[in-house]
Amino acid sequence: MSQDAKIRLDHVQKKYLGSKAPAVDSLTLEVPEGEILVLVGPSGCGKSTTLRLINRMIEPTGGRIFLDEEDVTTVDPDHLRRRIGYVIQQIGLFPHQTIAQNIATVPKMLKWDKARIAERVDELLSVVGLDPEVYRGRYPSELSGGQAQRVGVARALGADPEIMLMDEPFGAIDPITRDRLQNEFLRVQETLRKTIVFVTHDIDEAIKMGDRIAILGEQSHIRQIDTPERILAFPVDDFVRDFIGSGSTLKGLHFEIVDDNVELDPYPTMTVDSTAAEGLALARAAHADWVLLLDASHRPLRWVPVDELEAGGPVTAESGTEVLAKVSLGATLFQALEQMLVSSAAVACVVREDGSYHGVVRLTYLNRVIRQARREAREHYERLEAMA
Amino acid sequence: MWSVLDSTRDDHVDGIISWFDYIASRPDDILEATWAHAKITLTVIVVATVFSVLLGVFVQRRPALRAFALSVSGIFLTIPSLALFALFIPIVGTGNEPAMYALFLYAILPILRNTVTGLDSVPPAVVESAKGMGMGTLRQLARIRLPLAWPIIMAGIRISTLITVGIAAIAVLVGGDGLGTYIQSGLTRLGLPNSLESVWTGTAFTVLLGLVLDAALAGFQRVTTSKGLRM
Amino acid sequence: MSQLTPAQARLGDHGTTTDGREPEGSLPPDLEAPHEPGWLTRARRKHLGLKTAPLGILGLAGLVFWYYQSLNLAESKVQIASPLAWGTKLWPQTVEHLTIAFWSTVLVVVVAIPLGIALTRPPLRRFGPTIVAVANSGQALPAYGLLILFLSMLGQGLRTVVVALVLYALLPVLRNTMVGLDAVERSVIEAGRGMGMTRWQVLTRIELPLAVPVILAGVRVAMILNIGMATLAYLIGGGGLGVTIAVGLKLQQDAVLVIGASIVAIVALTFDWLGALAETYLRPKGV
Ligand SMILES: Nc1ncnc2c1ncn2[C@@H]1O[C@H](COP(=O)(O)OP(=O)(O)O)[C@@H](O)[C@H]1O
Ligand SMILES: [Mg+2]
Repeated sequence: MSQDAKIRLDHVQKKYLGSKAPAVDSLTLEVPEGEILVLVGPSGCGKSTTLRLINRMIEPTGGRIFLDEEDVTTVDPDHLRRRIGYVIQQIGLFPHQTIAQNIATVPKMLKWDKARIAERVDELLSVVGLDPEVYRGRYPSELSGGQAQRVGVARALGADPEIMLMDEPFGAIDPITRDRLQNEFLRVQETLRKTIVFVTHDIDEAIKMGDRIAILGEQSHIRQIDTPERILAFPVDDFVRDFIGSGSTLKGLHFEIVDDNVELDPYPTMTVDSTAAEGLALARAAHADWVLLLDASHRPLRWVPVDELEAGGPVTAESGTEVLAKVSLGATLFQALEQMLVSSAAVACVVREDGSYHGVVRLTYLNRVIRQARREAREHYERLEAMA
Repeated sequence: MWSVLDSTRDDHVDGIISWFDYIASRPDDILEATWAHAKITLTVIVVATVFSVLLGVFVQRRPALRAFALSVSGIFLTIPSLALFALFIPIVGTGNEPAMYALFLYAILPILRNTVTGLDSVPPAVVESAKGMGMGTLRQLARIRLPLAWPIIMAGIRISTLITVGIAAIAVLVGGDGLGTYIQSGLTRLGLPNSLESVWTGTAFTVLLGLVLDAALAGFQRVTTSKGLRM
Repeated sequence: MSQLTPAQARLGDHGTTTDGREPEGSLPPDLEAPHEPGWLTRARRKHLGLKTAPLGILGLAGLVFWYYQSLNLAESKVQIASPLAWGTKLWPQTVEHLTIAFWSTVLVVVVAIPLGIALTRPPLRRFGPTIVAVANSGQALPAYGLLILFLSMLGQGLRTVVVALVLYALLPVLRNTMVGLDAVERSVIEAGRGMGMTRWQVLTRIELPLAVPVILAGVRVAMILNIGMATLAYLIGGGGLGVTIAVGLKLQQDAVLVIGASIVAIVALTFDWLGALAETYLRPKGV
């Protein structure tokens, strides 16, 4: 039990009146400061209940909840909630209040002065990407779904709470807008570093948003809690495996970035100025079947096969086949794989920002990465088991 | 008189017993008045239903007419009933008739409004697919739109029935009959024996008649509503 | 009997507005539009609005005034002239009529709104549906009988009339308060609670403002019921314009009957229009 957990649930239980089995059964959980913990699980498994226990929208029937190591099970719930941002799927904007009034709700209750509130409202609108001039005076009925949810997030950030609870915040939004909101939210979180508990039933959203993911089964039993990488590489049981679905290995490639840490194989390259004989010599030296032809500014141009070089003749921009599989430095290995698949090549060129050649990623490398991730995750769990 | 202020429990018990005696001694008269009351109500409701449903079907998709019809029938409901009853006397004389004309006007709005909202609530896709299968306008109306709107229309009919039963009790003030006669005779003899029993009889049987008719209409609604729409 | 009951009927189960307009949809127009056929949108927009009503009422008043003048009261027989005297009969009766309607409406509001709030709070909530069901069948209650029963308990006079009216007109306001509060979306309340608003703050800042349109519609119905029922106040010595109608009935003078009934109608229509104005202008923005 670490001392620096921002949120700590200790054997928390919730049994709704009139139901036999508890909706949340003895849940113990820690969220360190600045982390996004995603609770993910099938519908009805108790995710929302868990979340609502943290800000005491509902009262636990057992166990204790700590925020900053302070037992909040007995403090005044209204005051507690003013310290915690809360975003729900249905948003719940107040239809009779302007956007500005909506966002000012908590600051007003905390008796901030007017000027400070006005400033805060504008600041928050900018943070969530809405022009304060345009939106401040509007009513919720004048917003699209995506805009309304931005305001919902801004409102939850109102008094700059250290903790945010988000219950499927992007669940009711079309996929394209959802993707954009997710990205923007992650960008905002990079500077705000809130401690966030995020609920979703969508494993892809969980993988994208979570620093850690808790996969929950019935009654909020934690089936696995870990980083998305490790969960994808090593689902601990069939429940988790089923839940993350097929293709989890591939999803893991999302987390590997093509950068200098990636071991980039040397590859024989020649420029358009060089002769076929020079190219052939390079290829022979590297035991390669192809040579990569670069243009004058070192941008990858063509793959030239050794046979063609052996035949002699000039090497031009028409020799060999076009280089289709290209990824930039900073792309993910998943993108590299995609490039290989669409161009049916077993290698992808890595280029720098200016388009110049940096190296290549081979399919065999992806293979190694995946195996290594699995091995590491397995070793991690073996170590945990050994300790237990 | 039963006075809440200075009566004791025994007074109430006595009152109730004497009321039962009162009813027991003239069941035929009371039934006759109740039947007269029901006849006024049912005549009005049947006519108003036919009129309002047809009107509703006609105006539903004609915005201007629809607004006009709804507004005018709303105005009728705003006019106090005694005043509206009275306005018919110069035209049709006294008796049940002025009351029935006025009650007819009152009964229009709930049925009309529920007919148009009921028809509005029919999913366009359903009508569209009916059209796509080659149903003509009349057939769409009879087979699809009215059956789907029926529960809502019936709700309007039930509201109209309840208010008609209640208001019909003042028909007696313009020379009509029905259960209002018991209230009136109680009023004119107030203080004399059996006067309050008479008022209670008129009031209670009016409410009772309303509840019975409402229950009957609820049953009628059940058997006339497609099983698929019952929930 | 009631003059009152009719207005109550305007609160069907499908809406709360009382002037034949359908309740407006709660979705923003851009979301609603694709699902809604054009004729429906047009029908919603095109009600015979607030603007034409006063013209109609003025026209009706002019017609009645012209008829009144044409009776030439100075030279007509006493059965007509006496009940139709403006200064000693009609005007005082109108004032009486409005006094009855005013006080009973104020009392209805004072009693029914807090009661409606209480019946939507958790401890009493489960009684809500029962009360609404009883309130609905209460529509068959004959106001005539109710008035006489109160007369027997409380004696003659204004007080009795007002008490009976309050009881009678309580239902629409009570029902609309409950329905209006219930119609506030759970997610809006959840969001308010989630931000740390107390129950009281959620009630006063969110639920009540959002329920205002529905509550006002109920108050307007109650007011019209009260104006209508005040017409029967004469039966128990409460005065009001019902006196003139009753005299016209008793003396079989159609002119008296028609003038009395017309003034009642004009008063009711005028106040209904004022109610519609209030509903339009007191509705919170953004809703
Ligand atoms: N207010 C409530 N009263 C009784 N049971 C509830 C209530 N809210 C949720 N439940 C039950 O608790 C379980 C968990 O619900 P919930 O936390 O909403 O699940 P999730 O958010 O994971 O879909 C479900 O079986 C649900 O039916
Ligand atoms: Mg949920």
